[in-house]
Amino acid sequence: MLEAFEIMKWPLLACLLLPGLLVYLGLHIVQREIIFVDLALAQVAALGTCFGILMHYEANSWESYLLSLGFTFVGAGIFTLTRTKSHRVPQEALIGIVYVVTAALGILLLSRSPEGNEELRRTLIGEVLLVTPAQVLRTFGLYVVIGLIHWFCRKRFLAISFAPEGALAGGLSVRWWDFVFYAMFGWVVTSFVQIGGVLLVFSYLIVPAVCANFLADALGARLLIGWATATVASGAGLYASYALDLPTGAAIVCALGLALILSLVAARFRPGPVG
Amino acid sequence: MKSFHRCLTLPLLTGLATAALAKLNVVATTPDLGALARAIGGDQIELTTLAKPSEDPHFVDAKPSFIVKLNHADALIEGGAELEAGWLTPLLEGARNPKLDPGRPGRIAGAEGVALLEVPTALDRSQGDIHASGNPHYLTDPLNARIVAAHIARALAELDATSAGVYQGNLKKFDDALEARLAEWQKLAAPFAGRPVVTYHNYWIYFGRRFNWPMELFLEPKPGIPPTPAHLAAVITKMKAGNLKVVTVQPYQHRKTAETVASHTGALVLDWPSFPGGPGTEGYLEWMDHLVKSTVAGFEQTR
Repeated sequence: MLEAFEIMKWPLLACLLLPGLLVYLGLHIVQREIIFVDLALAQVAALGTCFGILMHYEANSWESYLLSLGFTFVGAGIFTLTRTKSHRVPQEALIGIVYVVTAALGILLLSRSPEGNEELRRTLIGEVLLVTPAQVLRTFGLYVVIGLIHWFCRKRFLAISFAPEGALAGGLSVRWWDFVFYAMFGWVVTSFVQIGGVLLVFSYLIVPAVCANFLADALGARLLIGWATATVASGAGLYASYALDLPTGAAIVCALGLALILSLVAARFRPGPVG
Repeated sequence: MKSFHRCLTLPLLTGLATAALAKLNVVATTPDLGALARAIGGDQIELTTLAKPSEDPHFVDAKPSFIVKLNHADALIEGGAELEAGWLTPLLEGARNPKLDPGRPGRIAGAEGVALLEVPTALDRSQGDIHASGNPHYLTDPLNARIVAAHIARALAELDATSAGVYQGNLKKFDDALEARLAEWQKLAAPFAGRPVVTYHNYWIYFGRRFNWPMELFLEPKPGIPPTPAHLAAVITKMKAGNLKVVTVQPYQHRKTAETVASHTGALVLDWPSFPGGPGTEGYLEWMDHLVKSTVAGFEQTR
């Protein structure tokens, strides 16, 4: 058991500390009904990394990090501008288009590079098992800063996500705060993609938020349920990965899937109407 | 005095006995190195091979047990030519086993003492996925396997002196068997000397040199870069011009690409296992035997 802890220590820390912010942002994302925006932003960031590879920067170098961050901000700009009130074109459609076009562009770019396949796989699956202490601490530092910004500006961020019409009427610059939201969100997502891959980041964002929406209405209660879900599923997934020798990221994703089923069952026994 | 003597020797003897009983924990990165380690170490070692025979040795998915095994290992046998660098380095960082530090007797690099081919004069990513120390697939030549087997025997003897005789004996057995087989393979291969083979990746150059089968045409435009339509068209043209009739693929490569090329050229697609370890090819010699015989059969069929 001690040995299991020794080997799984940093993946465990990564999966306990980092989803805190992801779960909170997930509540925003689910409320805005832009479920796939994280996949799209992650893909835009991956396109930046692809450019870096073509320019012969190593995938882990700071140049390549800056490139992917720059691309993320461009993506944030695109999503800010495409948040329309008209329902003729739902934003989800545009998000999907950004996702597939950037994914296809990435394939085109990487077809010229021998490391292409490996890099595409890595962005998808990640290597949470092999996360380094420096990676965990650096990302945690970033998340604390962004979490504090969200805490201090919570009124504005909650207004633009949960009541955008009211915010606009109240004289809040929704465009500007939307951009800040997406830019920080993209930064959070791409940092975690470096550790856990696209599948895991999507699961941490969406699954706990959906579980929480099934079980509670108040934002505070949803947040607590979301954190509890993420923590328990992380622990169970990491334990299963060690005990049964399974790929770590996929084990956690499946544990989160199981948590969703359990919360659906729990929601049936919940007093009062659901949702 | 006598009892005092017994007091001293008894723990010493039991200590030696447990040392002899405790097997060396050996980890091999790829199944070809694993097969050689098994041939030399026999029952004296507890062997773990990280990459599966069907897996692409360039990319191997990390699992928790890999770190555990590396953490407990007395010896690590790696290719030593950067093939596994991408996935082995982070695993070793996670395993934190000082016995496997570079330069320690527990760290065995197969490439040591092997003359590698295609050592690049200038490193340039535009050339594709090339390795600074040369083409790392050197174990496709049985004579290189001999060098590596001798290296493993020396290294294991250094780590476990009590079994040195066993390792030496196993090496002798392996060497003799290889020598006999090699003569047989060369006799089989001789009638087809000079017949070229198209391969998917530049994986078999050592094998081709040993049996005089040129393997200079690849389905990949550059190592590690997926086949493109224009490149495949050029390959098809060259195959028709040079009357090349045999295309080979490995388990993790895209067989459909080879089939398409073969259907345009009337060529035969051969499935070459990248490593020992499949059914009927458990050991290194069985694997090499399968490769040679299936190639010869392929040549005969497309004569």
